[in-house]
Amino acid sequence: MKLTEGFLEGVAAAAVDEGLVDAYYATVATALGKLLVIETPQGVCRIGFEEEDPDALLANVALRVGPRIVRAKGATSEARDALEAYLSGAQNALDLPVDLALAPSTFGRSVLAGLAAVPRGTVTTYASLASSIGRPGAARAVGTALGRNPVPIVIPCHRVVPGGGGVGGYAGGAARKELLLRLEGYPQGPTPSRGS
Amino acid sequence: MGVTIEQKTRKKAQLPPFWSLVEAHGSELLTHARRLAGDDAEDVVQEALLKALRSYPRLAHGEHLRAWLYRVTTTTAFDLGVRARRATALPAPSPGPAQVFADEVAPFEELIEPLSPALKETLELRFVEDLRYEEIGRRLGCNEVAARQRVSSALRALRRRMT
Repeated sequence: MKLTEGFLEGVAAAAVDEGLVDAYYATVATALGKLLVIETPQGVCRIGFEEEDPDALLANVALRVGPRIVRAKGATSEARDALEAYLSGAQNALDLPVDLALAPSTFGRSVLAGLAAVPRGTVTTYASLASSIGRPGAARAVGTALGRNPVPIVIPCHRVVPGGGGVGGYAGGAARKELLLRLEGYPQGPTPSRGS
Repeated sequence: MGVTIEQKTRKKAQLPPFWSLVEAHGSELLTHARRLAGDDAEDVVQEALLKALRSYPRLAHGEHLRAWLYRVTTTTAFDLGVRARRATALPAPSPGPAQVFADEVAPFEELIEPLSPALKETLELRFVEDLRYEEIGRRLGCNEVAARQRVSSALRALRRRMT
């Protein structure tokens, strides 16, 4: 005897409606591959690429946010649809509430907050981002903090590139970073102006 | 970027994401519920999972989670069986699986209902929330030894009522 998908979705929806959950998740197929989207009632707290182990991602959310985690397609549909539309090019804006519960430090949060000033279609450098948050010289630490961005794509850490040229590293791999920059209309072969 | 936030923050054994339990044990819980409640099995499992979700963060440890889910499913089947019988108000219902079982063993909540609130709470902490004595003590504001004594005296009170 097996529980059907429909039954499980019903249980999950009831749990979300009754406020019994710390987080809920589902996957979505996009131009960047299958993404795992994990949300709290405050917003998206984690996006995982398909190479990342979903069990590890969920276990970390259980540890940091709480263990009452359910798989819910309905509750995550808004975020999943928005990601799918943005990554297919159907939408130019990706305005989703985020929950930075998994951001590792105050510094990390300020780095991620600094990305709000880097609009779609533009890039900045690790060094300029460091300066813009009042920490000139902390370019390396900025790079580390960006690499731990729990909500890639929505928080656009892909718009930060090395001053020396190239796209630099990305948690989802350089190919995905290039694809994102191209999608956002950034000219081929990013060569950002320094100190902009 | 070699270190992911998952590796960075993982510390110790803890409660797994609730849904991993549902995926691992959901089907056998349905089989269990079917034995207890027949056609109402899915209702029982849904209710049991929501009930389990409510008390999940209060579990003191991540052990015996499968046994705990079975216990929650069992008490839920009893409770629903009792409610159904009260609703239909038939003195001798045709014995569906739920009723056979429910008639043999009084549901936990009905069983402990006549006890004092303190004894009821003690038994619920031990047998519904499945806490260790140390945690029961913490919740009752006493030490582990005293918690053990309270549970056994609550059990004695319960036995007196049943004999």
